[in-house]
Amino acid sequence: MPLWFARGLRRGVVTTRYPASPDGSAASLPTPPAFRPRQLSRQVVDRMVAECPGRALSRRDDLLIFDAGACTTCGRCARVAPDAVTSSGEFELTATARSALVKTIPILGEGQ
Amino acid sequence: MTPAHLPVPPTLPQAAAGSREQLIRRLNGLGGLEVVGRGGTQGAVTVRLLAESLEAATHALAGTAGTRLADMFADTDGGVPVLRLVWAYDADQPGYIVTECEIDGEQYPPLSDIAPAGFVEECEIYEQFGIRPAGGKPLNRLMLPPHAETELPTLGHEPPRPPEEVHAPHTVGGQAFEFPFGPVRQAGVESLYYGLVTSGEEVVDLYLFTWHKHRGVEWRLRGKTVPQALFLAERAEGLSAVAVGWAFAAAAEAALGVVPPPAAARTRAVALELERLYNHAAATAALCQATGLSVGQAAAEIALERLLRVNAAAFGHRYLFGVIEPGGVSRAPDAGVLRRDLPGAYGELRRAADALLSTNSFVDRLEACGILTAEQARRLGLVGPVARATGLTADARLATDARLASDAQPGADAGPTAPGPYAGHPVNVVTAESGDVFARFQVMLGEAAESVRLITQFLDDGTAADRAPVPAKGAGGAGLGWAESPRGEALAWVALDEDGRIARARLRPGSARNWRGFDDACRSQNVFTDIPIIEASFWLTAAGMAR
Repeated sequence: MPLWFARGLRRGVVTTRYPASPDGSAASLPTPPAFRPRQLSRQVVDRMVAECPGRALSRRDDLLIFDAGACTTCGRCARVAPDAVTSSGEFELTATARSALVKTIPILGEGQ
Repeated sequence: MTPAHLPVPPTLPQAAAGSREQLIRRLNGLGGLEVVGRGGTQGAVTVRLLAESLEAATHALAGTAGTRLADMFADTDGGVPVLRLVWAYDADQPGYIVTECEIDGEQYPPLSDIAPAGFVEECEIYEQFGIRPAGGKPLNRLMLPPHAETELPTLGHEPPRPPEEVHAPHTVGGQAFEFPFGPVRQAGVESLYYGLVTSGEEVVDLYLFTWHKHRGVEWRLRGKTVPQALFLAERAEGLSAVAVGWAFAAAAEAALGVVPPPAAARTRAVALELERLYNHAAATAALCQATGLSVGQAAAEIALERLLRVNAAAFGHRYLFGVIEPGGVSRAPDAGVLRRDLPGAYGELRRAADALLSTNSFVDRLEACGILTAEQARRLGLVGPVARATGLTADARLATDARLASDAQPGADAGPTAPGPYAGHPVNVVTAESGDVFARFQVMLGEAAESVRLITQFLDDGTAADRAPVPAKGAGGAGLGWAESPRGEALAWVALDEDGRIARARLRPGSARNWRGFDDACRSQNVFTDIPIIEASFWLTAAGMAR
């Protein structure tokens, strides 16, 4: 047991200092998508909606409704619409109201 | 989850291990008909049996050394229930035989009396399809919660009567009592209910209720396209996402006649071995927690965190979700990152393990704890490190697609096939003999070292984000897929309709097979405080059972 006591002291504290300072490993994590409104058309949005397995995407007229709370960051929407979707880089998504996780993006692209 | 209240069937005297051809000839002699071409399960040998020869065929297969019942499930084909048994033959050129048999009426022969490994599946089939083994054997509730007001969908016909809930009688001089534990156990731990029967400290009996996480995954897969279904399949047991995803994708690929490119297959293997590494690190941490060794737990968890970060850096996801795709893989690992970071992460685990093996108080808790014999493991059809710790050698990485058999039937539609990634890099299967927790720990450590070796070899041969074209629609078909998850063989069987959508999907993670050995391991002269240690050494998931 003294071995473990010495081992623990020697290893020291390895706990991340996040959120006091950024953790470098976060750069490897998948993050929810960000959408480029001018690259969105109704057809593109309908393709993404059909592909999304978590029902995080829907369309209401010329609005793309994105529910970050339902998103699993699988990246399938980006694969079917690579020009319209980019990774947001955001993973600090906590909100105090569920509605704060639902974003509305205007569909401004041509070919609606 | 053995029928402890029933007499244990006598161990069948086994015939010598047979070759694949001998097994097929034996089944032919019992009236079985080998199905070749598109009518059978691609990836395995398919033998169609008449109902009257099912019992004799099961005797023949169960009685052959080196053959084990790997899975059993049902389907309704045009309204008639079809019973399928998946047999693994581990001798000679390992592979699988699927027997299928239409069941006329509500009953079929009592197969678990012949192969006890099938009892759990008999319970599941009764809940889902309403057919049961003859003889009136009581069947336990398994998957569907007993909430009278809840109507959960089933895959077939609901059973005419609800399943019984029969457990071992309390017979320790009338002094035993049942101690309920769970399903809510502690923060971050899966819902699982133990019924502990004890005389005070010693575990007399233990039974599990695993339905609290039932998600009806197999029911949800129906009607989905293969990519849609794969998203759900790899989440059926998240800690085996690569293995279950690979098994499912391989089953669909076999049904469609698709073969992933070799570089993509090696990519899958790299992901699978990374999955094995982090799971074995997590099991090591759990063993330390169960034995009260906090610093050891922290040391193993540091290794676990470093391995999860390697996964994220290499494949973009800490738990390797989304790597497997139909026909191949979605991305290749960052080989430079793997070569740079994996040795250090594995070194953390190795140093922690070496220190643990030098700690007598830790080793003392593991030795002679939770013993399973090779006979118990064989009789229950256990897989993975749990089975290999008893001396059994079955490993799904050794199995080959039946279409690769050198004596394929002339004229059979063998389709395009290629050896799997492990064909070029034989696995050194790690085994132990004592069957206790210490043996399982040693097997996990040996497998972790082997995984690092294999990853290096796969990277040297080259990996790629590549996919073979997958037809959107086909002529239908069925296929069997498999992969060796960290907790043992994961199987999947898929039948596709003409539109390429799932008509029936069967998922059998390693946990679904090995939970049935947990109560036997706990009953072997153990006390309460041994149960968390045994559970850590099994390292199963409730999700893998309650899918």
